[in-house]
Amino acid sequence: MPAEYVPGLEGIVAAQTEISLVDGANGQLVYRGYVIADLAEEISFEEVAHLFWYGSLPSRAQLDGLAAQLSSVRTLTPAAMTALDALPTDSDPMDVLRSVLSVQGVLPHLQKPTIEHAIHSTAALPTILAAFHRRRKDLAFVKPRPDLGHAANYLYMLNGEEAKPELVRALNTYLVLLADHGMNASTFTARVIASTDSDMASCLVGAIGALKGPAHGGAPSAVMDQLEQIGTAENAEHWMREARRRKERFMGFGHRVYRTYDPRARILKAMCQRLNPKFYELASKVEETALAILHEEHPERPQATNVEFYSAGVLQAIGLPKDFFPPTFAVSRVAGWSAHVLEQASHNRLIRPQSEYVGPQPRKPVPLAERG
Amino acid sequence: MTEYSPGLEGVVAAQTAISEVDGANGRLIYRGGYLIEDLAPAVSFEETAYLLWNGELPNKSQLDALRQEMAAARKLKDSTRSVIISLEYDTDPMDVLRTAVSAQGAAKALQKPTVVEAISLTAVVPTIVAAAHRRRHKRDLVEPRAELSHAANLLWMMDGQEPARERVHWLDQYLVLLADHGLNASTFTARVVASTGSDLTSCVVGAIAALKGPAHGGATYAARTMLDSIGSVENVDRWLADAHAKHARFPGFGHRVYRTYDPRAKILREMAKTADPKLHQLAAHTEEVALKILHDAHPERPNATNVDFWASVVLTGAGIPKELFTCVFAMARIAGWTAHVLESLADLRIIRPASQWVGPEPGKKPIPVEKR
Repeated sequence: MPAEYVPGLEGIVAAQTEISLVDGANGQLVYRGYVIADLAEEISFEEVAHLFWYGSLPSRAQLDGLAAQLSSVRTLTPAAMTALDALPTDSDPMDVLRSVLSVQGVLPHLQKPTIEHAIHSTAALPTILAAFHRRRKDLAFVKPRPDLGHAANYLYMLNGEEAKPELVRALNTYLVLLADHGMNASTFTARVIASTDSDMASCLVGAIGALKGPAHGGAPSAVMDQLEQIGTAENAEHWMREARRRKERFMGFGHRVYRTYDPRARILKAMCQRLNPKFYELASKVEETALAILHEEHPERPQATNVEFYSAGVLQAIGLPKDFFPPTFAVSRVAGWSAHVLEQASHNRLIRPQSEYVGPQPRKPVPLAERG
Repeated sequence: MTEYSPGLEGVVAAQTAISEVDGANGRLIYRGGYLIEDLAPAVSFEETAYLLWNGELPNKSQLDALRQEMAAARKLKDSTRSVIISLEYDTDPMDVLRTAVSAQGAAKALQKPTVVEAISLTAVVPTIVAAAHRRRHKRDLVEPRAELSHAANLLWMMDGQEPARERVHWLDQYLVLLADHGLNASTFTARVVASTGSDLTSCVVGAIAALKGPAHGGATYAARTMLDSIGSVENVDRWLADAHAKHARFPGFGHRVYRTYDPRAKILREMAKTADPKLHQLAAHTEEVALKILHDAHPERPNATNVDFWASVVLTGAGIPKELFTCVFAMARIAGWTAHVLESLADLRIIRPASQWVGPEPGKKPIPVEKR
């Protein structure tokens, strides 16, 4: 007999990995041995990507090499550009990202995933998003600049001018913090797809589809929506108690893994305080109230502010529109996704779990003419 | 936490009433409790899809209504058409399908999956597959016809002429047989994506991406390629013996679940006799010799011809070029994918398994880049 059904596969080990460790008990996130707090404000997104793909932090020469490679593939293929132009301008940016990466990633024939493919897709995501943003605002497309880093290029292509260094730095830290997080649903999606020996673009397109879900990457936009409804810090307590009576969830709280404060949320919170004081004033009050209410209801549960909550404030400070929060999450997480794909492909076994049949026992079909 | 189970083999990841693969008894049961061998001769693909979505076979008026809905949804959006045309002529048809479904489903706002949407996405697949085929041959696209069935429409739009009735029948039967099959990798992908609250298009795009893998949907193509490479009955013994000596796997043989002859393979084997008598002859001899070689090597293993082997012959008889085999598989399986997604909504819980850390001990300190 098969094992018992495990809802959400909670606690089931679906992969062995060296890429990241979510140590929920101690509130630690570890990238290939490095604790996130030691990396976040010290290194660039490109260095993290190198760490994921090659297994080590790059030397200066390796980093320059990777930056040059990323730079050489930041432009969209003519097909991807045409596809982007064909999609309606009011499309959800996640749908645009999913569709255009699907074109950008087309290879002449099926290939086993490589680091080169990882670089290719990682480089392209900011270009796709920026191009779409410009297009829907009826602004001319801005070409990437070879002298700018990954975060700086994204903002440059979005705005048509170089962003302030502190905003580039903030975006970079965000990209570092979100780049991987154990076996989350989108990463797991990428690994399941990789397990069929499919190609890199297929894995990443699938992961984008999973990240789109409100229970996963869609959360920061929902945080913003809720904060907008609350409006002011004075209104927080009243609004939230009312919301609770209507059985509404507080957005940006709760995590299946961390038993202490999410280490990424802590860093993002400090960034919000610095970069987005207006947001911080409201958000910190909402957080305080939410945690108090949640504690009243479930005193046994841990402090539960998650990464989405303060992500919203940081991304807003950087100047991104709300519907660009989820795809910007993808801009970061693609480094982790692609590293997991490479890891899965390197010692692969088809991921094919079982299901438990809960339908009726066999019976005969009735011919069409006799069906009631 | 449990032990790592590679490939999640034996782990129950979902409860389902959509289908049951009873490997021990060689049975495939579709929703409602119908055995595949009872259902296949009695129903069309449209009836099967209705069954998987709604839990009951349709009566005449329900079936007519479904056909009309599908006919109305079979056309490409202008944006999808432009996206398809943006792709190079020789793009892998699965990449065309992945991209075009993504574009066809692009929307303004996130929507919860519905049966209506399942119908639309299912209906448009043959249009996309035929478009991919026509583009490969640098020919203009052919519009769908409302009075033709789902299977007939594919052949019509591929060839631009009325297909022979038998070809439609073989293709339709194939679609019925392949419409669902427990928690295979692509269906599981769809369910993982759905578990985040994402939309139906994202689920289907992810499933297509997984089906693209040679270890999953690519097997029919591989089986046909093997038959092509064997070439004639006289070559069978030597070819297979050589391949076996080189430890090559025989595509079309082996399955993780069935312990007896796959019931779908049995039906297709019968159909293959009339669908393509010449290829059937080669395939039958190949099967005989392959099973003998496999039995001699592993007498403890069961009879292992799988559905892909005989599907490759029947699809050839139906006039499908092998480059489209995986796409036609998707055209069948999308009924199951969407049914699984709809089923999962009733008790949605994010699928987020655990991973086992096999990397370096946490706490490594990063060295500044210039000193590495």
